[in-house]
Amino acid sequence: MLIRFYDVTKVYPSGATGLFSVNTFIGKGEFVFLVGPSGAGKTTFLKLLTREILPTRGQVLLNGRNITRIRPTEVPYLRRTVRMIFQDFKLLPNKTVYDNVAFALMVTEKPRRQIGALVNEALKLVGIESKAEMYPDELSGGEQQRVSIARAIVGDPTVLLADEPTGNLDMETSWDIMEVLLRINKRGTTVIMSTHNATIVDVLKQRVIELDNGRIVRDDEKGVYEGEAEYNAVLPG
Amino acid sequence: MRYFLAEGWKSTKRNVSLISLGTMAVSIFVLGVFGLILMNLSNVNSNLRSSIEIRVYVEDNLTGQGLGALKQQIESIEGVHRVTYVSKEEGLSRLAKQLGEKAGLVDILGENPLPDTFDVRVFNADSTPDIASRISNLPHIIGVNYGQGFTEKLLSATRFIAVATVVLAVILLGAVMFIVGNTVRLSLVSRAQEIEVMKLVGATDWFIMWPFLIEGMIVGFLGSSLSGICLYVVYRACISRLGLVAPFIPIITETAPVARLCAGLVGLGVLMGVFAGGVFIKKHLEI
Repeated sequence: MLIRFYDVTKVYPSGATGLFSVNTFIGKGEFVFLVGPSGAGKTTFLKLLTREILPTRGQVLLNGRNITRIRPTEVPYLRRTVRMIFQDFKLLPNKTVYDNVAFALMVTEKPRRQIGALVNEALKLVGIESKAEMYPDELSGGEQQRVSIARAIVGDPTVLLADEPTGNLDMETSWDIMEVLLRINKRGTTVIMSTHNATIVDVLKQRVIELDNGRIVRDDEKGVYEGEAEYNAVLPG
Repeated sequence: MRYFLAEGWKSTKRNVSLISLGTMAVSIFVLGVFGLILMNLSNVNSNLRSSIEIRVYVEDNLTGQGLGALKQQIESIEGVHRVTYVSKEEGLSRLAKQLGEKAGLVDILGENPLPDTFDVRVFNADSTPDIASRISNLPHIIGVNYGQGFTEKLLSATRFIAVATVVLAVILLGAVMFIVGNTVRLSLVSRAQEIEVMKLVGATDWFIMWPFLIEGMIVGFLGSSLSGICLYVVYRACISRLGLVAPFIPIITETAPVARLCAGLVGLGVLMGVFAGGVFIKKHLEI
Protein backbone atom coordinates (compact mmCIF):
# COMPACT_ATOMS: atom_id res chain seq x y z
CA MET A 1 0.00 0.00 0.00
CA LEU A 2 1.44 3.35 -1.07
CA ILE A 3 -0.95 5.97 0.24
CA ARG A 4 -3.24 5.79 3.23
CA PHE A 5 -5.59 8.43 4.60
CA TYR A 6 -6.53 7.61 8.15
CA ASP A 7 -9.51 9.54 9.55
CA VAL A 8 -8.36 12.72 7.84
CA THR A 9 -10.27 15.93 8.54
CA LYS A 10 -9.24 19.31 7.21
CA VAL A 11 -11.01 22.43 8.44
CA TYR A 12 -9.67 25.68 6.99
CA PRO A 13 -9.20 28.77 9.19
CA SER A 14 -12.26 30.27 7.50
CA GLY A 15 -14.32 27.42 8.96
CA ALA A 16 -14.84 25.69 5.61
CA THR A 17 -14.45 21.93 5.71
CA GLY A 18 -12.06 20.57 3.07
CA LEU A 19 -12.25 16.93 4.10
CA PHE A 20 -14.19 15.20 6.82
CA SER A 21 -13.09 11.93 8.39
CA VAL A 22 -11.71 10.47 5.19
CA ASN A 23 -10.36 6.91 5.21
CA THR A 24 -8.91 5.41 2.07
CA PHE A 25 -5.86 3.76 0.58
CA ILE A 26 -4.26 3.78 -2.84
CA GLY A 27 -1.85 1.09 -3.99
CA LYS A 28 1.36 1.44 -5.91
CA GLY A 29 0.83 1.86 -9.66
CA GLU A 30 -2.89 2.65 -9.42
CA PHE A 31 -4.65 5.20 -11.59
CA VAL A 32 -7.32 7.01 -9.57
CA PHE A 33 -9.85 9.62 -10.64
CA LEU A 34 -11.04 12.04 -7.95
CA VAL A 35 -14.46 13.35 -8.90
CA GLY A 36 -17.12 15.47 -7.28
CA PRO A 37 -18.54 18.97 -7.49
CA SER A 38 -16.45 22.08 -6.94
CA GLY A 39 -15.62 22.47 -3.25
CA ALA A 40 -16.06 18.74 -2.59
CA GLY A 41 -12.48 18.42 -1.29
CA LYS A 42 -10.56 17.15 -4.34
CA THR A 43 -7.84 19.79 -4.22
CA THR A 44 -7.60 19.46 -0.42
CA PHE A 45 -7.02 15.72 -0.94
CA LEU A 46 -4.14 16.44 -3.35
CA LYS A 47 -2.59 19.25 -1.33
CA LEU A 48 -2.41 17.02 1.74
CA LEU A 49 -0.23 14.64 -0.26
CA THR A 50 2.31 17.34 -1.15
CA ARG A 51 2.21 18.72 2.40
CA GLU A 52 1.05 22.06 1.07
CA ILE A 53 -1.47 21.89 3.90
CA LEU A 54 -1.68 19.88 7.10
CA PRO A 55 -4.79 18.01 8.25
CA THR A 56 -6.68 19.28 11.27
CA ARG A 57 -7.00 15.66 12.40
CA GLY A 58 -5.83 12.28 11.21
CA GLN A 59 -2.82 10.89 9.39
CA VAL A 60 -1.66 10.76 5.79
CA LEU A 61 0.76 7.92 5.18
CA LEU A 62 3.05 7.58 2.20
CA ASN A 63 4.98 4.32 2.01
CA GLY A 64 4.08 3.76 5.66
CA ARG A 65 5.45 7.13 6.73
CA ASN A 66 3.19 9.71 8.34
CA ILE A 67 3.87 12.76 6.18
CA THR A 68 1.91 15.06 8.46
CA ARG A 69 4.65 14.58 11.04
CA ILE A 70 7.76 15.11 8.92
CA ARG A 71 9.96 18.11 9.64
CA PRO A 72 9.60 21.17 7.38
CA THR A 73 13.13 20.59 6.08
CA GLU A 74 12.02 17.16 4.80
CA VAL A 75 9.09 18.54 2.80
CA PRO A 76 11.20 19.37 -0.30
CA TYR A 77 12.37 15.73 -0.43
CA LEU A 78 8.75 14.56 -0.19
CA ARG A 79 7.89 16.80 -3.14
CA ARG A 80 10.57 15.14 -5.25
CA THR A 81 8.63 11.89 -4.95
CA VAL A 82 5.11 13.36 -5.06
CA ARG A 83 4.87 15.76 -7.99
CA MET A 84 1.84 17.74 -9.10
CA ILE A 85 0.54 19.22 -12.36
CA PHE A 86 -2.11 21.91 -12.71
CA GLN A 87 -4.81 23.25 -14.95
CA ASP A 88 -2.74 26.40 -15.58
CA PHE A 89 0.53 24.50 -16.28
CA LYS A 90 2.73 26.88 -14.18
CA LEU A 91 5.50 27.01 -16.78
CA LEU A 92 8.16 29.71 -16.63
CA PRO A 93 7.60 31.96 -19.66
CA ASN A 94 11.21 33.13 -19.97
CA LYS A 95 12.60 29.61 -20.23
CA THR A 96 12.53 27.25 -23.17
CA VAL A 97 10.73 23.92 -23.01
CA TYR A 98 14.05 22.20 -22.33
CA ASP A 99 15.02 24.67 -19.60
CA ASN A 100 11.61 24.45 -17.93
CA VAL A 101 12.07 20.71 -17.53
CA ALA A 102 15.77 20.96 -16.66
CA PHE A 103 14.86 23.55 -14.00
CA ALA A 104 13.17 20.87 -11.89
CA LEU A 105 16.40 18.84 -11.87
CA MET A 106 18.69 21.79 -11.37
CA VAL A 107 16.86 23.17 -8.35
CA THR A 108 16.80 19.73 -6.76
CA GLU A 109 20.58 19.64 -7.14
CA LYS A 110 20.83 16.82 -9.67
CA PRO A 111 24.39 16.51 -11.01
CA ARG A 112 24.75 18.65 -14.14
CA ARG A 113 26.02 15.82 -16.34
CA GLN A 114 22.87 13.73 -15.73
CA ILE A 115 20.42 16.50 -16.54
CA GLY A 116 20.60 16.43 -20.36
CA ALA A 117 19.77 12.75 -20.77
CA LEU A 118 16.96 12.84 -18.19
CA VAL A 119 15.32 15.91 -19.75
CA ASN A 120 15.45 14.41 -23.25
CA GLU A 121 13.95 11.16 -21.97
CA ALA A 122 11.08 13.04 -20.26
CA LEU A 123 10.40 15.19 -23.34
CA LYS A 124 10.30 12.06 -25.47
CA LEU A 125 7.91 10.33 -23.09
CA VAL A 126 5.40 13.18 -23.38
CA GLY A 127 6.06 13.51 -27.14
CA ILE A 128 7.36 17.05 -27.28
CA GLU A 129 11.07 16.55 -27.91
CA SER A 130 10.88 18.37 -31.26
CA LYS A 131 9.86 21.60 -29.53
CA ALA A 132 12.59 21.63 -26.90
CA GLU A 133 13.96 25.01 -27.93
CA MET A 134 10.61 26.81 -28.08
CA TYR A 135 9.15 29.05 -25.41
CA PRO A 136 5.85 28.25 -23.65
CA ASP A 137 3.93 31.07 -25.36
CA GLU A 138 4.81 29.54 -28.73
CA LEU A 139 3.04 26.31 -27.80
CA SER A 140 -0.61 25.25 -27.73
CA GLY A 141 -2.35 24.52 -24.40
CA GLY A 142 -1.99 20.79 -24.88
CA GLU A 143 1.70 21.12 -25.64
CA GLN A 144 2.20 23.31 -22.57
CA GLN A 145 0.53 20.67 -20.42
CA ARG A 146 2.87 18.06 -21.88
CA VAL A 147 5.83 20.19 -20.86
CA SER A 148 4.43 20.54 -17.35
CA ILE A 149 3.98 16.75 -17.20
CA ALA A 150 7.55 16.28 -18.40
CA ARG A 151 8.74 18.62 -15.64
CA ALA A 152 6.73 16.68 -13.07
CA ILE A 153 7.99 13.23 -14.04
CA VAL A 154 11.58 14.12 -14.84
CA GLY A 155 12.90 13.20 -11.38
CA ASP A 156 11.02 9.87 -11.60
CA PRO A 157 8.52 10.54 -8.80
CA THR A 158 6.51 7.74 -7.17
CA VAL A 159 3.24 9.63 -7.34
CA LEU A 160 1.93 12.07 -9.92
CA LEU A 161 -0.96 14.27 -8.80
CA ALA A 162 -2.96 16.02 -11.51
CA ASP A 163 -5.32 18.80 -10.48
CA GLU A 164 -7.82 19.07 -13.35
CA PRO A 165 -5.06 18.80 -15.96
CA THR A 166 -7.49 18.92 -18.87
CA GLY A 167 -9.61 21.73 -17.44
CA ASN A 168 -8.31 24.29 -19.93
CA LEU A 169 -8.10 22.02 -22.94
CA ASP A 170 -10.48 20.96 -25.71
CA MET A 171 -11.64 17.35 -25.88
CA GLU A 172 -9.20 16.18 -28.50
CA THR A 173 -6.21 17.68 -26.68
CA SER A 174 -7.52 16.28 -23.41
CA TRP A 175 -7.36 12.78 -24.88
CA ASP A 176 -3.75 13.38 -25.88
CA ILE A 177 -2.93 14.38 -22.31
CA MET A 178 -4.78 11.33 -20.95
CA GLU A 179 -2.77 9.14 -23.26
CA VAL A 180 0.43 10.61 -21.81
CA LEU A 181 -0.78 10.14 -18.24
CA LEU A 182 -1.74 6.53 -18.88
CA ARG A 183 1.65 5.89 -20.43
CA ILE A 184 3.32 7.28 -17.34
CA ASN A 185 1.06 5.14 -15.15
CA LYS A 186 2.03 2.03 -17.14
CA ARG A 187 5.67 2.73 -16.25
CA GLY A 188 4.73 2.26 -12.59
CA THR A 189 3.97 5.78 -11.41
CA THR A 190 0.83 6.11 -9.31
CA VAL A 191 -1.45 8.76 -10.82
CA ILE A 192 -4.21 10.55 -8.93
CA MET A 193 -6.20 12.92 -11.09
CA SER A 194 -9.02 15.23 -10.10
CA THR A 195 -11.39 16.02 -12.94
CA HIS A 196 -14.78 17.26 -14.00
CA ASN A 197 -14.50 15.57 -17.35
CA ALA A 198 -17.14 12.83 -17.25
CA THR A 199 -16.30 11.47 -20.68
CA ILE A 200 -12.71 10.75 -19.84
CA VAL A 201 -13.62 9.04 -16.57
CA ASP A 202 -16.34 6.97 -18.18
CA VAL A 203 -14.25 5.80 -21.11
CA LEU A 204 -11.09 4.94 -19.20
CA LYS A 205 -12.86 2.90 -16.50
CA GLN A 206 -10.27 3.36 -13.76
CA ARG A 207 -10.78 3.52 -10.03
CA VAL A 208 -13.08 6.45 -9.12
CA ILE A 209 -13.22 8.12 -5.71
CA GLU A 210 -16.14 10.52 -5.46
CA LEU A 211 -16.05 13.28 -2.86
CA ASP A 212 -18.95 15.40 -1.71
CA ASN A 213 -18.83 17.96 1.09
CA GLY A 214 -15.43 16.61 2.13
CA ARG A 215 -16.59 12.99 2.47
CA ILE A 216 -15.92 9.99 0.28
CA VAL A 217 -19.37 9.05 -1.02
CA ARG A 218 -18.25 6.45 -3.55
CA ASP A 219 -15.14 4.40 -4.30
CA ASP A 220 -15.53 2.15 -7.38
CA GLU A 221 -12.80 -0.04 -8.73
CA LYS A 222 -13.71 0.45 -12.40
CA GLY A 223 -15.99 3.40 -11.96
CA VAL A 224 -17.70 6.05 -14.00
CA TYR A 225 -18.16 9.75 -13.39
CA GLU A 226 -21.66 9.69 -11.87
CA GLY A 227 -23.20 6.99 -9.72
CA GLU A 228 -24.73 4.10 -11.76
CA ALA A 229 -28.27 5.49 -11.46
CA GLU A 230 -27.45 8.87 -12.93
CA TYR A 231 -25.07 7.52 -15.55
CA ASN A 232 -25.92 9.32 -18.73
CA ALA A 233 -22.66 10.36 -20.32
CA VAL A 234 -22.11 10.56 -24.03
CA LEU A 235 -19.11 8.58 -25.15
CA PRO A 236 -16.80 10.09 -27.73
CA GLY A 237 -17.50 9.13 -31.27
CA MET B 1 27.32 27.74 -6.29
CA ARG B 2 27.74 29.01 -9.84
CA TYR B 3 23.96 28.93 -10.20
CA PHE B 4 23.45 30.96 -7.01
CA LEU B 5 26.01 33.57 -8.00
CA ALA B 6 24.61 33.88 -11.50
CA GLU B 7 21.03 34.17 -10.26
CA GLY B 8 21.99 36.64 -7.54
CA TRP B 9 23.89 38.85 -9.97
CA LYS B 10 21.19 38.66 -12.63
CA SER B 11 18.56 39.62 -10.11
CA THR B 12 20.66 42.48 -8.74
CA LYS B 13 21.13 43.92 -12.22
CA ARG B 14 17.39 43.69 -12.78
CA ASN B 15 16.22 45.14 -9.50
CA VAL B 16 18.81 47.43 -8.00
CA SER B 17 18.43 51.11 -8.90
CA LEU B 18 20.97 53.91 -8.82
CA ILE B 19 18.76 55.72 -6.35
CA SER B 20 18.76 52.88 -3.86
CA LEU B 21 22.50 52.34 -4.26
CA GLY B 22 23.08 56.09 -3.87
CA THR B 23 20.90 56.32 -0.77
CA MET B 24 22.70 53.40 0.73
CA ALA B 25 26.12 54.84 -0.13
CA VAL B 26 25.18 58.19 1.45
CA SER B 27 23.89 56.48 4.61
CA ILE B 28 27.08 54.50 5.04
CA PHE B 29 29.16 57.54 4.13
CA VAL B 30 27.56 59.61 6.91
CA LEU B 31 28.15 56.76 9.29
CA GLY B 32 31.78 56.67 8.18
CA VAL B 33 32.16 60.43 8.77
CA PHE B 34 30.99 59.98 12.34
CA GLY B 35 33.31 57.04 12.71
CA LEU B 36 36.24 59.18 11.59
CA ILE B 37 35.32 61.99 13.99
CA LEU B 38 35.12 59.48 16.80
CA MET B 39 38.45 57.95 15.85
CA ASN B 40 40.14 61.34 15.83
CA LEU B 41 38.61 62.42 19.11
CA SER B 42 39.70 59.28 20.86
CA ASN B 43 43.13 59.72 19.32
CA VAL B 44 43.38 63.25 20.80
CA ASN B 45 41.98 61.93 24.04
CA SER B 46 44.48 59.13 24.40
CA ASN B 47 47.36 61.45 23.47
CA LEU B 48 46.31 63.87 26.17
CA ARG B 49 45.66 61.19 28.72
CA SER B 50 49.07 59.71 28.26
CA SER B 51 50.62 63.11 28.92
CA ILE B 52 48.51 64.03 31.93
CA GLU B 53 50.63 65.10 34.89
CA ILE B 54 49.77 66.51 38.30
CA ARG B 55 51.93 69.47 39.19
CA VAL B 56 52.22 69.78 42.95
CA TYR B 57 53.32 73.18 44.35
CA VAL B 58 55.25 73.03 47.62
CA GLU B 59 55.65 75.63 50.39
CA ASP B 60 58.79 77.71 50.07
CA ASN B 61 60.24 77.02 53.50
CA LEU B 62 60.59 73.28 53.00
CA THR B 63 64.16 71.99 52.73
CA GLY B 64 65.98 68.78 51.79
CA GLN B 65 64.68 66.36 54.43
CA GLY B 66 61.14 67.76 54.38
CA LEU B 67 61.02 67.53 50.59
CA GLY B 68 62.28 63.95 50.70
CA ALA B 69 59.62 62.97 53.23
CA LEU B 70 56.89 64.66 51.20
CA LYS B 71 58.04 62.92 48.04
CA GLN B 72 57.80 59.58 49.85
CA GLN B 73 54.30 60.43 51.09
CA ILE B 74 53.17 61.22 47.53
CA GLU B 75 54.78 58.07 46.19
CA SER B 76 52.95 55.98 48.75
CA ILE B 77 49.55 57.07 47.42
CA GLU B 78 47.97 54.23 45.47
CA GLY B 79 47.95 54.77 41.69
CA VAL B 80 50.97 57.07 41.64
CA HIS B 81 53.47 55.97 39.01
CA ARG B 82 56.39 58.37 39.30
CA VAL B 83 57.23 61.50 41.28
CA THR B 84 59.84 63.93 39.93
CA TYR B 85 61.18 66.81 41.98
CA VAL B 86 61.54 70.08 40.06
CA SER B 87 63.34 72.76 42.04
CA LYS B 88 62.23 76.37 41.72
CA GLU B 89 65.45 77.13 39.74
CA GLU B 90 64.78 74.33 37.35
CA GLY B 91 61.20 75.55 37.04
CA LEU B 92 62.40 79.01 36.15
CA SER B 93 64.75 77.77 33.45
CA ARG B 94 61.91 75.65 32.02
CA LEU B 95 59.72 78.72 31.99
CA ALA B 96 62.42 80.74 30.27
CA LYS B 97 62.68 78.01 27.64
CA GLN B 98 58.92 78.05 27.11
CA LEU B 99 58.86 81.82 26.79
CA GLY B 100 61.60 81.75 24.18
CA GLU B 101 62.04 85.26 22.79
CA LYS B 102 60.23 86.76 25.76
CA ALA B 103 62.65 85.16 28.23
CA GLY B 104 63.69 88.67 29.25
CA LEU B 105 60.54 88.83 31.36
CA VAL B 106 62.14 86.41 33.81
CA ASP B 107 65.02 88.80 34.35
CA ILE B 108 62.65 91.70 34.95
CA LEU B 109 61.03 89.78 37.81
CA GLY B 110 64.32 89.92 39.68
CA GLU B 111 63.78 87.13 42.17
CA ASN B 112 62.42 83.70 41.33
CA PRO B 113 58.65 83.76 42.00
CA LEU B 114 58.15 80.03 41.41
CA PRO B 115 57.71 77.47 44.18
CA ASP B 116 59.40 74.06 44.28
CA THR B 117 57.23 71.47 42.54
CA PHE B 118 56.72 67.74 42.15
CA ASP B 119 55.58 66.41 38.79
CA VAL B 120 53.41 63.39 39.48
CA ARG B 121 52.58 60.78 36.89
CA VAL B 122 49.71 58.37 37.56
CA PHE B 123 49.06 54.91 36.20
CA ASN B 124 45.46 55.55 35.16
CA ALA B 125 44.39 58.97 33.83
CA ASP B 126 40.87 58.45 35.19
CA SER B 127 42.15 58.48 38.76
CA THR B 128 43.92 61.84 38.28
CA PRO B 129 41.29 64.02 40.06
CA ASP B 130 41.14 61.63 43.00
CA ILE B 131 44.92 61.42 43.45
CA ALA B 132 45.25 65.18 43.00
CA SER B 133 42.79 65.81 45.81
CA ARG B 134 44.58 63.38 48.11
CA ILE B 135 47.89 65.10 47.41
CA SER B 136 46.39 68.51 48.09
CA ASN B 137 45.39 67.31 51.57
CA LEU B 138 49.04 66.56 52.50
CA PRO B 139 50.91 69.14 54.62
CA HIS B 140 53.15 71.78 53.02
CA ILE B 141 51.23 71.72 49.72
CA ILE B 142 50.07 75.04 48.35
CA GLY B 143 48.24 73.72 45.35
CA VAL B 144 47.87 71.10 42.62
CA ASN B 145 47.23 71.52 38.93
CA TYR B 146 46.40 68.90 36.33
CA GLY B 147 44.38 70.89 33.80
CA GLN B 148 41.21 70.52 35.85
CA GLY B 149 38.07 70.71 33.77
CA PHE B 150 39.63 70.29 30.33
CA THR B 151 40.20 66.56 30.59
CA GLU B 152 36.65 66.02 31.83
CA LYS B 153 35.22 68.11 28.99
CA LEU B 154 37.17 66.24 26.35
CA LEU B 155 36.11 62.95 27.85
CA SER B 156 32.44 63.91 27.90
CA ALA B 157 32.63 65.25 24.33
CA THR B 158 34.09 61.93 23.21
CA ARG B 159 31.33 60.07 25.05
CA PHE B 160 28.68 62.25 23.44
CA ILE B 161 30.05 61.65 19.95
CA ALA B 162 30.28 57.93 20.67
CA VAL B 163 26.63 57.78 21.75
CA ALA B 164 25.59 59.92 18.76
CA THR B 165 27.50 57.58 16.46
CA VAL B 166 25.77 54.55 17.90
CA VAL B 167 22.32 56.18 17.60
CA LEU B 168 23.08 57.30 14.07
CA ALA B 169 24.46 53.88 13.23
CA VAL B 170 21.19 52.26 14.30
CA ILE B 171 19.13 54.71 12.22
CA LEU B 172 21.34 54.49 9.16
CA LEU B 173 21.68 50.73 9.34
CA GLY B 174 17.89 50.62 9.54
CA ALA B 175 17.84 52.63 6.32
CA VAL B 176 20.36 50.28 4.73
CA MET B 177 18.26 47.27 5.78
CA PHE B 178 15.20 48.92 4.32
CA ILE B 179 16.92 49.60 1.00
CA VAL B 180 18.30 46.08 0.71
CA GLY B 181 14.96 44.67 1.84
CA ASN B 182 13.20 46.67 -0.83
CA THR B 183 15.54 45.47 -3.56
CA VAL B 184 15.05 41.90 -2.41
CA ARG B 185 11.29 42.47 -2.34
CA LEU B 186 11.35 43.61 -5.95
CA SER B 187 13.29 40.57 -6.97
CA LEU B 188 10.94 38.41 -4.93
CA VAL B 189 8.00 39.81 -6.87
CA SER B 190 9.72 39.35 -10.21
CA ARG B 191 10.68 35.79 -9.31
CA ALA B 192 7.46 34.79 -7.53
CA GLN B 193 6.51 32.32 -10.26
CA GLU B 194 9.96 30.77 -10.30
CA ILE B 195 9.92 30.36 -6.52
CA GLU B 196 6.49 28.75 -6.66
CA VAL B 197 7.78 26.20 -9.16
CA MET B 198 10.92 25.62 -7.11
CA LYS B 199 8.86 24.80 -4.03
CA LEU B 200 6.57 22.66 -6.11
CA VAL B 201 9.31 20.42 -7.49
CA GLY B 202 11.11 20.10 -4.16
CA ALA B 203 13.89 22.69 -3.99
CA THR B 204 15.13 23.11 -0.42
CA ASP B 205 14.58 26.38 1.44
CA TRP B 206 18.29 27.10 1.39
CA PHE B 207 18.44 26.55 -2.34
CA ILE B 208 15.66 29.09 -2.79
CA MET B 209 17.19 31.57 -0.36
CA TRP B 210 20.79 31.59 -1.61
CA PRO B 211 20.29 33.83 -4.66
CA PHE B 212 18.51 36.38 -2.45
CA LEU B 213 21.27 36.32 0.14
CA ILE B 214 23.81 36.81 -2.62
CA GLU B 215 21.75 39.63 -4.05
CA GLY B 216 21.67 41.32 -0.63
CA MET B 217 25.40 40.79 -0.36
CA ILE B 218 26.05 42.32 -3.78
CA VAL B 219 23.83 45.34 -3.07
CA GLY B 220 25.48 45.77 0.34
CA PHE B 221 28.92 45.46 -1.19
CA LEU B 222 28.27 47.91 -4.03
CA GLY B 223 26.68 50.56 -1.80
CA SER B 224 29.26 50.35 0.94
CA SER B 225 32.25 50.15 -1.44
CA LEU B 226 31.07 53.33 -3.10
CA SER B 227 30.87 55.11 0.24
CA GLY B 228 34.09 53.52 1.56
CA ILE B 229 36.08 54.77 -1.44
CA CYS B 230 34.49 58.25 -1.28
CA LEU B 231 35.15 58.48 2.44
CA TYR B 232 38.79 57.53 2.01
CA VAL B 233 39.37 60.01 -0.82
CA VAL B 234 37.54 62.85 0.96
CA TYR B 235 39.41 62.25 4.21
CA ARG B 236 42.80 62.25 2.49
CA ALA B 237 41.90 65.51 0.76
CA CYS B 238 40.73 67.01 4.06
CA ILE B 239 43.86 66.13 6.03
CA SER B 240 46.17 67.48 3.35
CA ARG B 241 44.24 70.79 3.43
CA LEU B 242 44.03 70.83 7.21
CA GLY B 243 47.75 70.09 7.43
CA LEU B 244 48.39 73.40 5.67
CA VAL B 245 45.79 75.48 7.51
CA ALA B 246 45.95 74.12 11.04
CA PRO B 247 48.94 71.78 11.48
CA PHE B 248 48.61 71.86 15.31
CA ILE B 249 45.39 69.77 15.32
CA PRO B 250 46.48 66.20 16.10
CA ILE B 251 44.38 64.39 13.48
CA ILE B 252 45.09 60.87 12.29
CA THR B 253 47.23 61.07 9.18
CA GLU B 254 48.32 57.45 8.83
CA THR B 255 46.68 55.45 6.07
CA ALA B 256 46.16 52.19 7.93
CA PRO B 257 43.50 53.14 10.53
CA VAL B 258 41.43 55.07 7.98
CA ALA B 259 41.67 52.25 5.44
CA ARG B 260 40.65 49.84 8.18
CA LEU B 261 37.58 51.92 8.95
CA CYS B 262 36.62 52.04 5.26
CA ALA B 263 37.15 48.30 4.90
CA GLY B 264 35.07 47.84 8.06
CA LEU B 265 32.25 49.84 6.50
CA VAL B 266 32.34 47.64 3.40
CA GLY B 267 32.24 44.56 5.62
CA LEU B 268 29.34 46.04 7.54
CA GLY B 269 27.49 46.82 4.29
CA VAL B 270 27.92 43.23 3.09
CA LEU B 271 26.78 41.80 6.42
CA MET B 272 23.75 44.08 6.55
CA GLY B 273 22.93 43.13 2.97
CA VAL B 274 22.98 39.42 3.70
CA PHE B 275 21.08 39.92 6.94
CA ALA B 276 18.39 42.12 5.37
CA GLY B 277 18.08 39.76 2.41
CA GLY B 278 17.77 36.77 4.72
CA VAL B 279 15.24 38.34 7.08
CA PHE B 280 13.11 39.60 4.23
CA ILE B 281 13.06 36.40 2.21
CA LYS B 282 12.40 34.30 5.29
CA LYS B 283 9.48 36.52 6.24
CA HIS B 284 7.92 36.68 2.81
CA LEU B 285 8.46 33.17 1.61
CA GLU B 286 7.15 31.54 4.77
CA ILE B 287 9.78 28.90 4.35
